[in-house]
Amino acid sequence: MRGDILKTYKTLHTWTGLIGGMALFICFFAGALTMFKPELDRWVSPPVQQLPWVEESRLSLLVEKAIAEHPQAANSFTLHVQHNEGVEAPMSWRIRSKDDSSTYWLASLDADNRLMVRQHEPSQLAHLVDMLHQTAGIPGEGHHMWGVYVMGAVCFLYGLALLSGVILLLPSLVKDFLLLRRQKTSKRFWLDAHNVIGITSLPFHILIAWTVVVFAFHDQIYDGLEALVYQGEPAFARAEADPDAPVFNTAELLMPTQMAPVITKLSANFQIYEASYSRVQGNTPSVRIAGSDKAHMVRAPSFGFVSLQPYTGEVLDKDYLPGYEDGWLDMVIAVFALHFGSYGGDTIRWVYFMLGLSGAFIFYSGNLLWIESRRRKQREAGQVVEQQKNARLMASATVGVCWGSVAGVALAMSIGKWVSATGGDANSAYLWVYYLVFLSALAWAFICGPAKGAVHILVLCALACLSIVLSALAAWLIGPPHWWHAGLAMVEVTALLFSLIFANMAIKMHRRARCGPQDSVWAYAERPVATELPAGIKPVSASKP
Amino acid sequence: MARRERIQPHWWSKSLAGVLLGFVLAIGITGLFAWLGPGGLHADNKIQFNMWISALIWMVLFACVYLFSTGLKAWLWLGGASIAVWSLLVATQLLMQGGA
Repeated sequence: MRGDILKTYKTLHTWTGLIGGMALFICFFAGALTMFKPELDRWVSPPVQQLPWVEESRLSLLVEKAIAEHPQAANSFTLHVQHNEGVEAPMSWRIRSKDDSSTYWLASLDADNRLMVRQHEPSQLAHLVDMLHQTAGIPGEGHHMWGVYVMGAVCFLYGLALLSGVILLLPSLVKDFLLLRRQKTSKRFWLDAHNVIGITSLPFHILIAWTVVVFAFHDQIYDGLEALVYQGEPAFARAEADPDAPVFNTAELLMPTQMAPVITKLSANFQIYEASYSRVQGNTPSVRIAGSDKAHMVRAPSFGFVSLQPYTGEVLDKDYLPGYEDGWLDMVIAVFALHFGSYGGDTIRWVYFMLGLSGAFIFYSGNLLWIESRRRKQREAGQVVEQQKNARLMASATVGVCWGSVAGVALAMSIGKWVSATGGDANSAYLWVYYLVFLSALAWAFICGPAKGAVHILVLCALACLSIVLSALAAWLIGPPHWWHAGLAMVEVTALLFSLIFANMAIKMHRRARCGPQDSVWAYAERPVATELPAGIKPVSASKP
Repeated sequence: MARRERIQPHWWSKSLAGVLLGFVLAIGITGLFAWLGPGGLHADNKIQFNMWISALIWMVLFACVYLFSTGLKAWLWLGGASIAVWSLLVATQLLMQGGA
């Protein structure tokens, strides 16, 4: 490999990493958590008082009564077919008000066929995690959240960082691959780990960079394609509404079981999950039936769809029905599914959880390597070396942003659980707790410097994760109004595991800061070292990666 | 092969060429694929595939633009390629008016 190509792409790798690394850390870490959104929401929310379930024969009556009493529901409502812990009522709808806020409603029938309606406030914890995943916590909202555009641009650079990383590795790839040199120096170890994880998960990272650019800029690309390639034809033409189309009587609406034979004819393994009806009193009524088919990848997040006319059962759109996608759509859906991990069930959810965390590790280790390569070495005992200011600032920013966001999410979870149990407004608590913890941690890392900051914030992370376990334990001991879901023990187990990992990291950081080489931003105070370096710690060699 | 020149940094001009001409060229290549590739212009849902693929081409072009030895060369090569691809695309559009 020519030296100038390596040099050019090394600069690019460094700069793209510096610009995007920390934001990508938050996105990947939060993205790992999004794999378990429903579980997180159930963990923080009180157990739902499910409205009584309504058997198929009375479903039609429920819809009729609900629309009669709440005409706004006719515009868009959903019937839930599968009865499980996560579904609170057989029927639900959402009303959007003019200021873009929404209210959610649940409905059922009691034993005497009287309508029961309840307003419902979904937990916002999953929303917080999702927002962090999409925007890295950058506030503001236009057509998309502003952070989505920022992350789109970051991922454009991230694609460049990936290519440049591969170019840099090529010369030593065969020789060094899968080699983790623990013994040499800590820098060598971090570099080897950065490389081996980067190369093994490269396809995943390429896919993520590509999909995020598309998620952010698809409107602009579609506009370009429509105007220039398709000569002004709209890409997604909507069928004209036929003003003479008959309007149906809602009593004649087909219920999911009545439509099941039509769908079974198309796809034998399709399990109907829910049916969302739209405009049932207008002249373009439709029903979108969501369901899963374990044999196929689905678009997002976990269901395939088929649309029917809800009075006649005519199939309107089966493009998204698993197995019916045409060749082009099949490829597009595969890319969506590969981003969301919406295939392969729980195994793939855990695999994606690990991929997300390993991605976060790559960005964190990348920053550490940058800082380490700017380290000014102590040439002889007793010499005072002052580290570069930008390396110190970068070190503070890295530990503040990365571990601050982790501590923020963990504390939002445990505090949110207590707030909901005491009847408070947990939904506004999540955002407050997260940003308060995140910004304080960031400020603390700059005030105390990177060494102290890292130890303190890692201790905070360990305690925050431990507080998740202790909150659950306390809730179990106290009993109602606190609650503990036996089925979600894996939340506590994972939190405990990470609590131990963070504690271990904090201890190692502390040891290094006190006894490790003092010519480092990770030492507590840069002071002259009177004696030889402690035994067992070799001075870092000056070799470049 | 011509004599190899050392790569000059020229960060700004190369980056701009990658973002702007990269986009133009990516849309042009995708356009040729849309008109002449399998299924023709109006294949169901092909536009979705085309949108995805143009983003990928754009990113690859952007990532490779720093291999040019100078910013000027990046502009000339990407500009020339854009003109060539777009001439082909416009000719295709005129010849196959309305799509196959």
